[in-house]
Amino acid sequence: MGNRYQNRIELLQGTLDLLILQTLQWGPQHGYGISQAIRLGSGEVLQVETGSLYPALHRLEREGWIRSEWKLSDNNQRVKEYRLTAAGKKQLLDERTRWEQLSDAIAGILASPRRSEP
Amino acid sequence: MNFFRRRDRELNEELQAHLSLAVRDRIARGESRADAEAAAHREFGNVGLVKEVTREMWGFASLDRLLQDLRFGLRMLAKSPAFTIAAVLTLGLGIGANAAIFSVVYGVLLRPLAYRDAGRIALVFMNFSPQNSPRGNLSLADYFDWKAQNRCFDAIGLYANGVQEITGDATPEQVISAHVTANLFSLLGGVPRIGRTFVEGEDQGSSARLAVIGEALWRRHFGGDPNILGKTVMLSGDPTTIVGVMPATFHFPRQQTELWINYRLAPPKRRGPFFFTGIAHLKPGVSFEQAQSDTNFIARNIEHANPNTYARLTMPVLPLRDAMVGNVRPALWMMFGAVAFVLLIAMLNVANLTLARSTVRRREMAVRVGLGATRLRLVRQLLTESVVIGIFGAFAGLAFAWIAVGALQRWNPTNLLPRVGDIRLDWRVVIFTFAVAILTSALFGLIPALRASASDPNLALKEGGRSGGFSTSGLRTHSALAVFEIALSLVLLAGAGLLVRSLIELQRVQSGVGAEPRHVLSMYVTATNAKYRDVAKGVAFYQNILDSVRALPGVEAAGMADLRPPNWWEEDDSFNIDGQPWSQGAFPSTPVGHVMPGYFETLQIPLLRGRYLTDADRRDGHGVVLISESLARRYFPNDNPLGHIMHQSQPELHTPPMEIVGVVGDVKYQGLDSKNSPMAYYTPVAQSFVEAQFLYVRSTRAAASLAPEIERAIHAIDRDAVVNQEQTLEVSISNSASEPRFRTTLLGSFALAALLLAAIGVYGVIAYSVAQRTQEFGIRMALGAQPSDVLRLVVGKGAALGAAGVVIGLVASLLLTRTLERFLFQVKTTDPLTLVTVAAVLGLVAILAGYLPARRAVRVNPTIALRYE
Repeated sequence: MGNRYQNRIELLQGTLDLLILQTLQWGPQHGYGISQAIRLGSGEVLQVETGSLYPALHRLEREGWIRSEWKLSDNNQRVKEYRLTAAGKKQLLDERTRWEQLSDAIAGILASPRRSEP
Repeated sequence: MNFFRRRDRELNEELQAHLSLAVRDRIARGESRADAEAAAHREFGNVGLVKEVTREMWGFASLDRLLQDLRFGLRMLAKSPAFTIAAVLTLGLGIGANAAIFSVVYGVLLRPLAYRDAGRIALVFMNFSPQNSPRGNLSLADYFDWKAQNRCFDAIGLYANGVQEITGDATPEQVISAHVTANLFSLLGGVPRIGRTFVEGEDQGSSARLAVIGEALWRRHFGGDPNILGKTVMLSGDPTTIVGVMPATFHFPRQQTELWINYRLAPPKRRGPFFFTGIAHLKPGVSFEQAQSDTNFIARNIEHANPNTYARLTMPVLPLRDAMVGNVRPALWMMFGAVAFVLLIAMLNVANLTLARSTVRRREMAVRVGLGATRLRLVRQLLTESVVIGIFGAFAGLAFAWIAVGALQRWNPTNLLPRVGDIRLDWRVVIFTFAVAILTSALFGLIPALRASASDPNLALKEGGRSGGFSTSGLRTHSALAVFEIALSLVLLAGAGLLVRSLIELQRVQSGVGAEPRHVLSMYVTATNAKYRDVAKGVAFYQNILDSVRALPGVEAAGMADLRPPNWWEEDDSFNIDGQPWSQGAFPSTPVGHVMPGYFETLQIPLLRGRYLTDADRRDGHGVVLISESLARRYFPNDNPLGHIMHQSQPELHTPPMEIVGVVGDVKYQGLDSKNSPMAYYTPVAQSFVEAQFLYVRSTRAAASLAPEIERAIHAIDRDAVVNQEQTLEVSISNSASEPRFRTTLLGSFALAALLLAAIGVYGVIAYSVAQRTQEFGIRMALGAQPSDVLRLVVGKGAALGAAGVVIGLVASLLLTRTLERFLFQVKTTDPLTLVTVAAVLGLVAILAGYLPARRAVRVNPTIALRYE
């Protein structure tokens, strides 16, 4: 049952949600735009797979953290735009706090002096 | 549905927008359109899969997915119609049998009775030694005693079933009637359609003769006359005033009762006759148990006051429903159990079919897994297909049940099933059917679904080929299911076999009638009462009939009596013999025949001693009686009974003396399966008149064809005489076994269905394993194995399955057939003959089911088989 997309989702579980919510904090955006924003924002390090992005968007919408509506893009292309809801903003704050705690903790472990060899 | 389509369309559009935005960006960065599109697609990945995983987020129970699975399932089923039809029919058979029996069980046993507060109404009986009938009737004296001492019921009444002849302007008609106390209708909450029912006090000796009629009778006999109320009709010769019409929905005490007459109860002179059934409504807060113990207390008082009449007297208080349907309850639950077995076998069969099919579909499953379908997804898909089959099976089953229930209601021999009008295919049956269907299909779908989805996709894809390779564990599952099927059908066959054996035993019982039953026609002739109250006129009426019937061409002999072998007697009573000390226990109540001369000669009941009755045995003459062989043996073991004096009933009643003038052969009147001694005694009608008689005619030709001529002859004598129940003795004897035959036929057909399904199951497994092992057989034959070796190998496999199933089935049978004990007549539940026969039949079927595919295996051409993959 080697599903490479599912593996990615697991890899980025939580993190991708945080990245999406964070991206939407700057205003409504469609799926392609979000993926580009994450790619550029990370200095091309993070490449979000569509197979992870769209399930995540639909899941977040079901949770009520984001809302979607159809808009016409600047070149008259019908696109589905996502925007943060009030609940989403709160969720973003929570996830940010959690992420900072986690990264502090990990950083702490990585920065601690190596135990000397016996 | 639209919502889901739109959602799907929007997802598609969203992803397409993503792609075109990406292409636009790339073109803007200077790539050619072709390169941009290719790169964007590569970067995007598999559009179908992205859609699939995104849809997963719409929720597990998404109806959309279900519809998609349904559509796919229907397509897959349409692609293999043979499988689909086989599965749907198999399930339909199992489900339909269950739906049919469920509707019978519900209608008869569970549907609430249509009376007000029916759950608190009791029927009350009397049971005392030596009659020992738990449903014995009360005498009027007992009713008055009970009523006087009652503390537990707030209403107490009586009723008795009967028949009445309506004579007068229209054609005479005999209808099923009941005599009732005035409170019966209010006790049951029966409200008349027009007019009134009886009111308090209308059941006294001084009351007028009144009648309430049923709606059907009102329309049929009286043309729905709106002015019927207050009219006087002749009921069995007595003028009776009609006061009300009950709606067609009111049935009591019998389904067919359509005439109710008020009792006019006068204080009784003696304890007896025992004609009455008690009916009563519990006071608030009193339970049936309390009522029973209080009523038994009253019974003890009655017994103490009448020590010569009663011993071990109890008054059973039965809830109305138990009294109405209690005797068919065990049989119906047994049938329900039996059809559950049939369904289980059908289910195992379909599971086996699905399993075989899913093996063929392993490549399909592997491809789907390779494309990213999860195991849950596959199980769900396969289960959906099973449930689709189950739902089709439910429709087939409902159709089957509809036919079966109709047939059952029409067949219902001699009104065996009570409340047959309450059996309907209503919404409860539909719900039951679909619940069973879905549950069943989920169960039979789960095993194959789990197995199929658990297989390793790499292996399946590599192996290729149609069969997808040989799988021992698959075959093991198949075999286990087949063994289980054989075991289940063996249990059913054993049960049916026991019932068949006991039916055969029953039919071997001699009724005691010497004449060929086919050649004896009987019909019930009622002399409408008032005209013949003068006994001399009544006897002359019977005599005239006999004379003119004997004159008809083709008639060999004619006679009359008020009893009919093998299961009809009108009266039974104790008796006493001069010179022998009397006690209730020593002289049990015994059928009493009131016969016209010619009865014994017509039925060819042998005369063992003395003489038959003759025309000389008149009212004014010397009282005479004939006794049966077993009565003679019991009371005159070392003595010649002829010349002894006998009296009817107990000595203190001082009935007229009767001299024993003859001993005749024993005849069964209390049923072929009765455990009672076939004792009986016979008095001449001229000396103890009864108002209705069975006319018996023995003829040289098929007796049934004589009926119209005989009826004309009777009506020529009296146009008001009611003649009915025409049947040959052959039919009477056959009808008397209708209940066991009914059970046996039902259970037998279930068992045959089970056998057929099990045979198909074994055949399927062997055929499947032969198909799997074609290559192996080719190798064996190429290496020198003879066709007979291969044949033995394959048939042996079938035999092994059969043997395993038979052993398990036999053990289960020994445990389960015990529940049949009450239905068996002179056969033990462990009857070795039945069990051995059934085991042999199943073994044979298993071998045969293996032999057919084995022949195919033998015809395998080794060179072709080796190239098979």
